[in-house]
Amino acid sequence: MAAKELPVVPSARPGTMAAADMSRLREQRPVIDMGKCNLCRECLLYCPDAALREDKNEIKVYLQFCKGCGICALECPTQAITMVGEYAGNRGFIDK
Amino acid sequence: MRLLLNGNEAAAHAARLARVEVLASYPITPAAPVMEKITQFIAEGTMRCNFVRVESDHSAMAAALGATMAGARSFLITNSQGLAYMSEVLYHTSGLRQPVVMAVVNRALAAPHSRFPEHGDVVAQETSGWIQIFCENNQEVLDSIIQAFRLGEDEQVRLPVMVNYEGYIQSHTRETVDMPEQEKIDAFLPLVRRPVLDVDNPLAVNTVTGPELYMDYKYHQDAALQRAGTLLGEISEAYGAVTGRNWGGAVTGYRLEDAEVVLVTMGSLVSTARIAVDALRAAGEKAGLLKIRLFRPFPAEAVREMLKPARAVVALDKNIVYGAGGALGRELRAALYGFTNVPVYSYILGLGGRDVGVEDLTAIYRQVNEGLAAGKFPALYQWYGL
Ligand code: SF4
Ligand code: SF4
Repeated sequence: MAAKELPVVPSARPGTMAAADMSRLREQRPVIDMGKCNLCRECLLYCPDAALREDKNEIKVYLQFCKGCGICALECPTQAITMVGEYAGNRGFIDK
Repeated sequence: MRLLLNGNEAAAHAARLARVEVLASYPITPAAPVMEKITQFIAEGTMRCNFVRVESDHSAMAAALGATMAGARSFLITNSQGLAYMSEVLYHTSGLRQPVVMAVVNRALAAPHSRFPEHGDVVAQETSGWIQIFCENNQEVLDSIIQAFRLGEDEQVRLPVMVNYEGYIQSHTRETVDMPEQEKIDAFLPLVRRPVLDVDNPLAVNTVTGPELYMDYKYHQDAALQRAGTLLGEISEAYGAVTGRNWGGAVTGYRLEDAEVVLVTMGSLVSTARIAVDALRAAGEKAGLLKIRLFRPFPAEAVREMLKPARAVVALDKNIVYGAGGALGRELRAALYGFTNVPVYSYILGLGGRDVGVEDLTAIYRQVNEGLAAGKFPALYQWYGL
């Protein structure tokens, strides 16, 4: 087997990480209650992965980028964001 | 022009002749006078260089790495504790394939605290992926630093280089040093710029790399390091054509023809061993010397060929790899294993500045001959001069 061809300096073009789908490692996802949201945009600023956008007076979560950290829910001044579990099945010890 | 220079001054002049653009260093004994001399050149206007003041050796290495990634020719100095403190960034520098050149003014590591010479500091970084050159005198320091830039910057290599010389024995002792003309060095060493940090071509550098690629990067890095071994010979020849001085690449022999017992060492002890070999030859003994100039990559194939006819090989190590022995002793055994049956006598000596003179080397030579006559298999390693 031959070694793969690679750039001499370990590096990647910008946007390489954006190609990775975060959904598989997320435990929870943010769900936004637009009834409580005042569009202050705090969540947009705090999200470390720029997974939130404002679109036509509505805050939207781009789930391919959201890693489920919950920072947005913690920072939202109106508690409009709730973290909801991705997995609804059995948890803990599996008793056969 | 010939000047009376100590090793540190020779290193500073080499950086000036190499037109170093960034010096990032933190003062440490006995290497600090190199940066003092370079800042003097900057103040006088005889050198155009940015001196980056940093708060530690770790930061110095990071700054030099960053400057090289931005396309500048960077240089730094350190030793012992400072080199150990840099260790993490040493691996970043070699892994990112940046040709920084560093003068390492070898000094023992604490504890107990020491300011005196030996090679333990640099041997501890033997797996850091840096090219490691050792110099026996101050002329070789000057010449090797200039060669180090050309070697590290070569497209086939692109790796950082440590140029080693010992504290005090070399750093603070004056010798006549021939200063090559600037034009000759400019012709020998054209400036190579390969900026990675480029606003017009943004890159995510040093990205998280998974099991599917990491090993392949390391394969390429090791192959590049191996190429540096061959290339040093060519570069030494090219330098010889310009200055009249050829230090002979990775490894050189002295009076090896018909030599039966060959001393092998590196750094300042090479000069001492040369005198010892002359004395032994004058007394009718068939002694020879092998000088290791390049410790990483280790020139195993050349060493094999050159030591093939020997009856005994004597490794003289100014370092101790605790629990394993001397670094050269270990390398020599590994290189010779399965190639010849020559016994390797491995000596640990000169640690923490303990002096090793010609008489010590002739005493070791006699011990080895007694061991050979008794047909005894040498110990894994032994301490000399306790
Ligand atoms: S959970 Fe974390 S990653 Fe997802 S939108 Fe909120 S802040 Fe961003
Ligand atoms: S922080 Fe809360 S209130 Fe502010 S925009 Fe985000 S969801 Fe709406």
